[in-house]
Amino acid sequence: MPPQGSREENEKQDAARQAVDILHDISTILNCHLDRRTLSVCISMVENGVNPEALANVVQYLRKEAQKVNFAKQAAAANQ
Amino acid sequence: MSRAGPDRSKRVDTSINRLISQIIPDNPHNTEDENQQRHDLLFQQVKEQLERPHPPPLADQNHASELIRRRLVQSDPNLALRFSNLYSRLLALPILDQKWAMLYLLHQLTDSPDPTLPDPLAFSEFQQEETRRQRRRDREEYGSLSPSDRDSEDGLAPDPMAGAYRPTDLRDVLKNPKESKSPDEDPLYGSSKRPVSPSEWKRNRVQVDEYPDPPRRDVAIKSKLLADNYSSIEPPEPTILRDLPYTLQGISSATLPFGPDYSLKLPSSLPPPLIGLLHTLAEPSLLCKALQDFVKTPAKGLLDQSLRAAINDELRSYLTLVATLEGQIRRALSSIDEMAPRSGIGKAGVTLKRCVVWTREATMGLRLLSLIAEESKTKKGGQIISLIHSFSTSHGDPIVGAFAERLLTPITRPFYDILRHWIYDGELSDPYSEFFIQLKSTEAMAKTKTGSTNVWDEKYEMSHTMIPSIVTLEFANKVHLIGKSLNFIRHSCGDAQWVESYSKASSKELRYGDTATLESWIDDAYKITMRRLVHLMTHKFHLFEHLQALKSYILLGQGDFIALLMESLAANLDRPAGAQYRHTLTAQLEHAIRGSNAQYDSPEVLRRLDARMLQLSHGDIGWDCFTLEYKIDAPVDVVVSDWGNRQYLKVFNFLWRIKRVEFALSSSWRKVTTGSRGVLQTDHAMVQETWKTTRGFLAEMVHFVGQLQYYILFEVIESSWTELQARLKREDATLDDIIKAHKNYLNSITHKGLLGARRRRFVASSSNSSATAANEEDDNSYMIQLGELLRTMLSYRDCVDGLYSWSVSDFTRRQEADLRREDMDYDESPGGPHSEFPALQERLQHLGDRFRTRLQILLGDLAYQPDVDLRFLGVSMNFNDVYQPIRRKAKGTPAPTTTGGTDKEKGKERERERE
Repeated sequence: MPPQGSREENEKQDAARQAVDILHDISTILNCHLDRRTLSVCISMVENGVNPEALANVVQYLRKEAQKVNFAKQAAAANQ
Repeated sequence: MSRAGPDRSKRVDTSINRLISQIIPDNPHNTEDENQQRHDLLFQQVKEQLERPHPPPLADQNHASELIRRRLVQSDPNLALRFSNLYSRLLALPILDQKWAMLYLLHQLTDSPDPTLPDPLAFSEFQQEETRRQRRRDREEYGSLSPSDRDSEDGLAPDPMAGAYRPTDLRDVLKNPKESKSPDEDPLYGSSKRPVSPSEWKRNRVQVDEYPDPPRRDVAIKSKLLADNYSSIEPPEPTILRDLPYTLQGISSATLPFGPDYSLKLPSSLPPPLIGLLHTLAEPSLLCKALQDFVKTPAKGLLDQSLRAAINDELRSYLTLVATLEGQIRRALSSIDEMAPRSGIGKAGVTLKRCVVWTREATMGLRLLSLIAEESKTKKGGQIISLIHSFSTSHGDPIVGAFAERLLTPITRPFYDILRHWIYDGELSDPYSEFFIQLKSTEAMAKTKTGSTNVWDEKYEMSHTMIPSIVTLEFANKVHLIGKSLNFIRHSCGDAQWVESYSKASSKELRYGDTATLESWIDDAYKITMRRLVHLMTHKFHLFEHLQALKSYILLGQGDFIALLMESLAANLDRPAGAQYRHTLTAQLEHAIRGSNAQYDSPEVLRRLDARMLQLSHGDIGWDCFTLEYKIDAPVDVVVSDWGNRQYLKVFNFLWRIKRVEFALSSSWRKVTTGSRGVLQTDHAMVQETWKTTRGFLAEMVHFVGQLQYYILFEVIESSWTELQARLKREDATLDDIIKAHKNYLNSITHKGLLGARRRRFVASSSNSSATAANEEDDNSYMIQLGELLRTMLSYRDCVDGLYSWSVSDFTRRQEADLRREDMDYDESPGGPHSEFPALQERLQHLGDRFRTRLQILLGDLAYQPDVDLRFLGVSMNFNDVYQPIRRKAKGTPAPTTTGGTDKEKGKERERERE
């Protein structure tokens, strides 16, 4: 039954949103500096069996890379 | 990842992609290709990283949450509680199989550096890469690029060996603060190749201000550098911080001991910036200490006490702040790392600078408080309220205004308590005389006690300096009147019962703030008390009846009574004053009351009427000393005061004299008129002539006295009485109004009744010294003139009596002579050679002339009176211009022109009369 199915879908989405909400709150408390989108990506990865410790390392690493890109941007701007 | 199926790994791949694009921003300066390339590279690395085998981290999901909770409890218990809530909610959710893993992830990321803030570590790595890239580019120029080289450059984790050949790295500088201290060996300056020194770097940054974050980054890095350049101080900052709370509370501590006279000793070993900070922090400490001492000083009054209480309250909230501060400092000190640069105090979150910022607002409050405390020392009661009120209303700084306003409520409480007691109970409960209404000092009371105490005016006085600026003068007057009235009702009118019930019914809690309601309450109280007081005065104490009685008896309004009294007393009063007896006087008075309409007056009034003799002086006869008296007692004497009584007596004496002259003249007139038909008939031409002129003079005098009496009784007293009635009957008349109206009434009677009027208008303007003397002389001049006139008339009457008796004796002599000699011619002189007739004639002539002259002078004075009624009296006395008014010349100023003017005026008046 499509309506029921959609309702289930709705409920699921609702629960997912709630989960993201709660986890986002926790991450704020813990000063993780994760925005909701990044967080939901992380959740899906963890749900798919990725090792959390490795994922944490990856996030840190990627952040560093991002900073480097920013520095490069500024340097480029400065050189112009 | 062992159990990951193909589907699962695919999903993970997409997730990695999303994650990368989420976190890594595109570099607009690079081409699409480069970005893509970079993305792919990162994807590769991430995948590698993730697929590398990891030990299964934790088996148990409770463990992860426990780790987080423990961590949070350390930093902030509140957060831990919140986390527990969130965690239980999370557990309740049906989805998510790997909750613990998620939590573990978050735990790993806890307190990770903010990605938006500059990260020096990343910056240094970036620098390294740049170096390598540059080097590579250099190498590319030589055409030698080995893949191994490339690998090492782009490796994920920093190569542990990299540090060895990068001695100029910023990161290393940060790690070794001790090295950086000496500028000579500062490695930053060693590398001249690239803009790595902060100053150069900054120069670059300045040019790219359009990027939002460069300044912050700049500051962060600089502060880092500064922190590392920080030389150790003695005593160290943590020690100062630890002692600071005590100092802020005004307690001496080892590092910051208080000196005498509110001084604070700062350790001399500190560098100037720190000293500056400590100076700023010393201000609240010293103020607090001073205020604590002020609060402990004994208070001089209720308002002083309330001021101290209010200041104490403020101090308490300040100490609360200090306590919070202390908690912060403690926590910060417990968490600092002794080994970190600057003892790690920069990271702990509490520094001296922060303390300055946190105590800033409190310092302002303390400053204001100490200002108030200082100024209140010389002030008292209402002045203190005025002082604080002036801060709240007329200070430009809104913070100061609000602060003072907040202080006002507790401080004014005793004031409003006194006020409430005063306007609802009529009692002044002000032990330190701080209220703006004060009990008159006993000496002042004693002075007035020589007369009778006038409770209304004398008991309380208003002190204008004590009126606080929160109430207006008008308001204060009303308050004064209300309390005074209540007090009067309670103590003088004996109506305490009403006051009590009133106070029970309408007593309200008064407080600072709502001025409008307060005023309306005061207005209500005012109306109620005034109505009650006037009601009491009219109904219980018959004020109006007394006034009426005073008018009819003392001011001779009751004609029949006065006529009867005079008739019955006349014979008695002709005798010397020493021969007057009180019992005869009272008996005659009683007779006069019984015989006239006065008998219908209420016994309450008649009881107060009394006849008595004034103080005797030698040679007085009864007429001079007799007086009627109307006794006024307790509450009514507020209106008819001592002064009023004296005025009444003065008017009565004057009127009594006029009445007496009138009585004497009319009795003589009667005798002469009846006599002229019998005994006074004579053939002697000279005697006939004399009698004619005498009758003429008598008529003039009767006319004069009649006019005078008419004027005083009808023009003056009656018109003033109507005015008084109108004022007393007014709806909102208060006792004060009544007193004032009565005073005006008496004043206008004495003034217009020639008892106190000035003869000339501009006496004072001529010259100062002589004018004042002349002024006093003039004050009673009408009184003196009239007195002279009345005396002249009395002696004239005596003369007429003499002439009459001579005529009678002459008549009998002639009759006897007729019997002896039938026809005998009269001699030239009537009554024979030894007759007293010539002397009598001369005296009559003389007195008559004197009367005329005096009258003319009086008329001359009256004609130039500013008062219309007095001028009218002159006109009515001289309506047919028989007399020539003589204008007395003002001293030293010839006034011929004015006399001419008056003649003209007179002429005009005459014409007017003819018309």
